[in-house]
Amino acid sequence: MADAALTSLLAEQSIRLDRTAEDRFDAVRQCGAALVEAGAVDESYVDAMLERERTVSTFVGEGVAIPHGTLAGKESVKQDALVVLRFPEGVDWEGNAVSVCVGIAAAGGGHIALLSQLAEILLDPAKAEQLRSATTSDQVYALLTPDEDDED
Amino acid sequence: MPERTVTIASSVGLHARPASLFSQAAAKSGVPVTLTTKAGKSVNAASILGILSLGIGHGEEVVLSADGDGADAALDSLAELLNTDLDKE
Repeated sequence: MADAALTSLLAEQSIRLDRTAEDRFDAVRQCGAALVEAGAVDESYVDAMLERERTVSTFVGEGVAIPHGTLAGKESVKQDALVVLRFPEGVDWEGNAVSVCVGIAAAGGGHIALLSQLAEILLDPAKAEQLRSATTSDQVYALLTPDEDDED
Repeated sequence: MPERTVTIASSVGLHARPASLFSQAAAKSGVPVTLTTKAGKSVNAASILGILSLGIGHGEEVVLSADGDGADAALDSLAELLNTDLDKE
């Protein structure tokens, strides 16, 4: 599989490890703003992300949510990108505590491969815990880099 | 064990929103449901991370299986869900 590496889509300035958010929509808005700053999406993508969040929560478990736009928002995507925002105090996500948001901008089918790679990482409880407690961007990069000997 | 072979109808595959709706339905079904891909990878259908990790695309076939009381009814309604384009808005 020629999947784009997660880390190649994540700029260092798109990793923000010490954020606070009033609620999940505020957290989604911050993810959207980070994607706009990364030059990955137009402002309108942020509305598409909020719309998605209103329709179905993007909480995936392990204290992680993956805000991303609706299909209609794909036209606002200039290039595929990820942002990682950490909320050490936690954000209430419909009764679940979220401490890490991985914001996703994806124009084409790359979406599914990205989510698959991310989910593989989060299915390992130790790695999920490390992501929740990461304090440096190096730690985040290391976690998102697939282990060579993990391939199957 | 009762099982159903289903083709993923959602145009973008079984990703965040369809995966979320599907795993919630599986969790509510009251029986443990397993989802297996053609490649033979199996996950708990109620785990959204498990489902996302499979990276299932549109038109792919998966097998749902479950055992116990109500397994057939649960599989029917979950298969119906996957037969629907859950990403239509």
